[in-house]
Amino acid sequence: MAQIEQSSGGKKKKGAQKKMSIHVDFTPMVDMNMLLITFFMLCTTMIKSQTLNISLPSNEKIENEEQQSKAKNSEAITMILTTERDKDGNVKSDAEGRPMNTIYYYEGKPYIEDANNDGLIDVSPDGFGILRAEKFLGNTPEGEQGIRKILHNKNKQALEKIDEQKKLWRENKITDEEFQKKAKEIRNDSTLTRPVVIIKATPEASWESVITALDEMQINQISRYQIDNINQVDSALILDYLAKNPNK
Amino acid sequence: MGKVKIKRKSTLIDMTAMSDVTVLLLTFFMLTSTFLAKEPVTVITPSSVSEIKVPTSNVTSVLVSPEGKIFLSVLGEAEITKDNESWSSEGVRKEALLSAARKYEEVTGKKTGITQNDAEKFAKLMTFGVPLAKMHEFLMLDQTKQDQYLAEDPAAGVPMTDIVYQTTDGFKETTNEFQIWMRAIYNSENSNLQEAMKKGEGIAVKADRGTNYSTLHDVLDNLQTIKMNRFSVMTALKTEND
Repeated sequence: MAQIEQSSGGKKKKGAQKKMSIHVDFTPMVDMNMLLITFFMLCTTMIKSQTLNISLPSNEKIENEEQQSKAKNSEAITMILTTERDKDGNVKSDAEGRPMNTIYYYEGKPYIEDANNDGLIDVSPDGFGILRAEKFLGNTPEGEQGIRKILHNKNKQALEKIDEQKKLWRENKITDEEFQKKAKEIRNDSTLTRPVVIIKATPEASWESVITALDEMQINQISRYQIDNINQVDSALILDYLAKNPNK
Repeated sequence: MGKVKIKRKSTLIDMTAMSDVTVLLLTFFMLTSTFLAKEPVTVITPSSVSEIKVPTSNVTSVLVSPEGKIFLSVLGEAEITKDNESWSSEGVRKEALLSAARKYEEVTGKKTGITQNDAEKFAKLMTFGVPLAKMHEFLMLDQTKQDQYLAEDPAAGVPMTDIVYQTTDGFKETTNEFQIWMRAIYNSENSNLQEAMKKGEGIAVKADRGTNYSTLHDVLDNLQTIKMNRFSVMTALKTEND
């Protein structure tokens, strides 16, 4: 390919020019190209970052109590995010390499009665307001695990309806646009029992855990959620939980 | 037995095909590449399932380093016509610096010494994070010194320390440089940028996955104070099984 053959053509005559082949050595060219490719490969971003939209509540204090929207006890679920760190402040990972984030959660209002004065919070009679711990485990072949399972069960009605629509969309019976519109309608359908999630993060919780929690809202199609500041009751509940479960 | 004649083979390998391939690859990379933006700190963003892409124009990025330093970068309109020259990244930056400096001088009573010439230099900066009092000095440095300053100096970053001042009506107000900057960018002539910031897509917060929430909380709290309740957070893509 990289040679030009010069044939004199016809019969070889005496004194005719010798057959010459010109070889062009492409090796340096390839070397240079490889260097350039390496440069471009290292300096470019192929994957563009994604963004996640967040709306925070207004900072202004609502003075009128009636203006505050209150969630029903059975619908509210509060998640408190914590992250375990080593003494240098780096996030610890578990055996599987997952960052050690723990989600404490309770349903309804927090229950902080201590009738027998033993320093520990009693078990709430109606089952609401008990602090439990979970982890971000995501999906396994057996289905949702960890906090996703809890949120999934809370938003079961909406998720089932969305799955029906998804099936139609997979079978190409409805367009992508129609599916998105329907899904949005279902997410905001007030006739269904939908959870209200309040996400709180302790100061040492990692940014990743906050984003993962917000992500769970998207995955579980929860439309009503909010980021809030942690308060003393929440800290007291966590301390109480740790006192009851010292090995965790 | 006759001698076995070993045929001498030439070791020349034809590199033409190889060369063709490399040139093709090179062309591909050259055409598709967008260069990594130079940032004073490298952060690994958390991942999410969200599929909304980061806009390439009309966006203000707030980069939060793990230690809590804040760096800002502003991108204006991508396509510039004669009518909206001041809507470009350079135009917005220039205007933002001058108006932020004015506001800063007004609330603190200190002089920043920022000149028109400084603003021209500032317009070329991709990322900045310098206290306004030191801005003039910073812009006098050459580029390598500037990068070094942003990456190493403990004073780098837009400060969030409270500035208490009295308004003309005699009320006491609190603000800080981060708020001054965000307002200055928001109030620039570029109304598309303003619209995007109002909707939330125009503000992108970027932070490392390991950063403490308390650090981020300060930033988010400031955004809330200036009524920028809606914003977006930069994440990497995650698969649904993750």
